[in-house]
Amino acid sequence: MIEFFINGQPVQAATGQTVMQAAVAAGITIPSFCWHPQLSVPGNCRICMVEVEAEGGAWFDISCNMPVTKGMRVLTESDKVKELRKDTMQFITLNHPVDCGICNKSGECLLQDHHFAYNGMPSLSRDPKTHATKFYPLSERIMLDNERCIMCSRCVRFTAEISKSHALGVQNRGDHSLIRPAADVNFDDDAYSDNVIDICPVGALLSRELLDHARVWYLKATPSVCPGCERGCSINIWHRKPEWKLQALDGHLNTRIDRITPLENPAVNGPWVCNKARDLARIFERERAEQPMVKGAPVTLEVAIRSAADLIGAAKRPVALVSSWGSNEELAAFHAALGPSFASYVKADWVPQPGERVEDDVLIKPDKNPNRAAATALYPALPENVTKALSDDTDLVFVWGEGAPFADIPSSAKVVLLTSYVLPENARADVLIPISVQTERNGHYTNFQGVVTGFERCFLKKTTVVDAQPLFESIFSASAHMAGAR
Amino acid sequence: MTGRKVFMDFAVTDTSHTLADYKARGGYQAIAKALRDLEPEEVTKEVSASGILGHGGAAFPAGRKWGVIKLNDGQPHYLCMNADEGEPGTFKDRWLLEHTPHLLLEGMLLGSYALQGRHSFIYIRGEFDLAYHRLADALEEAYAAGFFGENILGSDFSCDLVIYRGAGSYVCGEASAMLTSLEGKKGYPRNRPPRLTVQGLYQKPTVVNNVETIANVPFIMNHGSAAFKAIGTPKSPGTSLISVSGHINTPGVYEVEYGYPFADFLTNECGGMLGGKALKCVIPGGVSTKVLTADDIMPLTYDHTAFVEAGSQVGSQGMIVVAEGTCMVRMLQVMMRFYHHESCGQCTPCREGMGWLEKISTRIVAGQGVASDIDRLYHISGANDGTTICGLGDAAGYATVGILDKYRHEFEYFIEHKRSMYDGRLEVLIDD
Repeated sequence: MIEFFINGQPVQAATGQTVMQAAVAAGITIPSFCWHPQLSVPGNCRICMVEVEAEGGAWFDISCNMPVTKGMRVLTESDKVKELRKDTMQFITLNHPVDCGICNKSGECLLQDHHFAYNGMPSLSRDPKTHATKFYPLSERIMLDNERCIMCSRCVRFTAEISKSHALGVQNRGDHSLIRPAADVNFDDDAYSDNVIDICPVGALLSRELLDHARVWYLKATPSVCPGCERGCSINIWHRKPEWKLQALDGHLNTRIDRITPLENPAVNGPWVCNKARDLARIFERERAEQPMVKGAPVTLEVAIRSAADLIGAAKRPVALVSSWGSNEELAAFHAALGPSFASYVKADWVPQPGERVEDDVLIKPDKNPNRAAATALYPALPENVTKALSDDTDLVFVWGEGAPFADIPSSAKVVLLTSYVLPENARADVLIPISVQTERNGHYTNFQGVVTGFERCFLKKTTVVDAQPLFESIFSASAHMAGAR
Repeated sequence: MTGRKVFMDFAVTDTSHTLADYKARGGYQAIAKALRDLEPEEVTKEVSASGILGHGGAAFPAGRKWGVIKLNDGQPHYLCMNADEGEPGTFKDRWLLEHTPHLLLEGMLLGSYALQGRHSFIYIRGEFDLAYHRLADALEEAYAAGFFGENILGSDFSCDLVIYRGAGSYVCGEASAMLTSLEGKKGYPRNRPPRLTVQGLYQKPTVVNNVETIANVPFIMNHGSAAFKAIGTPKSPGTSLISVSGHINTPGVYEVEYGYPFADFLTNECGGMLGGKALKCVIPGGVSTKVLTADDIMPLTYDHTAFVEAGSQVGSQGMIVVAEGTCMVRMLQVMMRFYHHESCGQCTPCREGMGWLEKISTRIVAGQGVASDIDRLYHISGANDGTTICGLGDAAGYATVGILDKYRHEFEYFIEHKRSMYDGRLEVLIDD
């Protein structure tokens, strides 16, 4: 470790660290636009300029590219540094349209934050701004506003260094520079493209899905886990704040997933997630099963649960197909309630969809279920040849979640189905109990590395929908009661 | 004593650039001698002892640059010749490239030998067409004659040379941008550290030298560092090519010995002022150096010490002579248009500042200037001083501050009267 000083305060740095890295580690803020901890150092925004006191007189350089030397004395708040920052902020906003009022990034924009923190002055320029392209569709998912771009090159470096698609580059020179897709690469093929929206320090790269749909200050981020694959990336699910519920508009807008962003988790996903995670709404917002059924007829929840308990109590050779999307808590409840009396197998609720990237060396893993690790720790996986698990004398199949091989279930067997979605195969169920989805409950998943991450509730569930965990507990007590009565 | 020559010691003819003529003038003897008798370190030592200063603009001692490279450190070293001569007013390297390509190739061989570089590069400005073809033809001749390739002249030294044409960007004349461009990337300058002599081309130790610097090496090796040092002044040894243009009778490229009085240069080489006009000022070394008024420059001798003391630089040795009656406001506007057009757009102060400088100067020329504009020009120049990745921002700042310091009254006049102090065409062509 090397000791040096920032504003007179001793700071420890590892060998090879830059002043910026050491400052961040020590909790000292040095403003930056282009610097990103996971990306290379281009040193182009110049806002992190600091002063170094030295024998021969003070010198100035950018802290993101300044190696720490023993005993060096860095000043981040000297008058000259503040003046340089102010000048740099003037330059950065010189050709920026400052259209925060209509900008989707407004409210979470680094340029806004830095402007108020380090400049706060109106532009000194009397001259017209340089104009550039507005609303340039970079891909099916991303809209680019070149006027707002401050040429920090984070997005270019992301595609070159992290996603390795090399899909973005810089065209032209000087203040006519433009971020543009590379001619021979389709940015749509980059499975991580939406991360450039998050790392864009201004409102230049915008999600076309969120564009003009919501202002971020009406939204709330709830920490969650992406169920898209066994990686289990930590995410933030953004949804409308309860206190800003819309009264006049379509009610579902209050309970929709507005967007999903990565939640930094060094042990699992770092600061990134793939595009599939951004599209979780396409999984969770399918048509929901909300009506409990017995033999295809609508019933109340109580009746459905009692019917299920009856079937379970009467079964002699019951088989359970356990969900690989259940949380650790639900799996434990299932195990406690039904585990001993059932022959249980773990099924894959979700398989790779056509065109989906199955695996790569960034984040995406081949198993598209979030909690297979915890489930298979309890039960064996459903064999490829399903008849090995489901024989002719199976008289009850307890299906938890999607993806069950209904075609292979013997016609003589009864089916109890716990599902969240309206699907054609639901007709096979003798008893159907609607269960909640991940965004409606709390819980934990264990990913393929064994890392346990928690998710929290975003929305309230419907009254006809039940959480799986208390359901298992109540079925258990009901069927145990009946077994006792027999 | 003045007037000694290093390069321009032969008559330019239709064949003077060929291998046969170069050999007849004693060419390729230095490399033969070095390969036969000298260790690589001895070549570097000789160049260091000559005290030669780089001719690209920064006047860094070339020998010291070579000495930084550690031989036998197990990694490749590269020597790159910077022939991307793009500074406005500068065209002295072009003369060397067109007329003495073999001298440059021999210099590259000596340099590559001194640095033990297996591959060396010449990055030549894309617009130099004749120069490129002369150089490429010369390289072909040299390969055929066994001066490049494997085991040169029977020694165990091998060297290949690649000529790479630039695509016309000014900033690619900056050493690190040149290497980035040479690697096939967008010509952006790099942050230091690391220095190019530590991580340059392909992240390997690299020396970048100007054309004229390399061209001096065969002379130093042939005649010894003492003979080289005897030319010029103690602080500025050797000679300098000056490309001179502007309001003079005989613009062109001239070789002068350091220490040559400017007044003599103006009278003899330049043939005096065009149309007998009075000298107003001189931009001494490419537009990035601070302008010197007639009073400043007339008593000076042409060497680094004198020009630095006068508040400017020898720079890239491209001199622009300006006659009385020229509007400096318009001149600044033209210069700023250039910097704006050539700013690479990588770092903030230059990307935004150059456009701003041009907008303000254009607005003043259009008669829309306000009094605060002059301070704003100073402010933008100051905010570019030392804050950018490469020197382009600083250079534009120097140029602006240089003109504003000396000719502020012209700007004030223009802003107040919405017209130039020097309306109308500068009448200099009086002979038929």
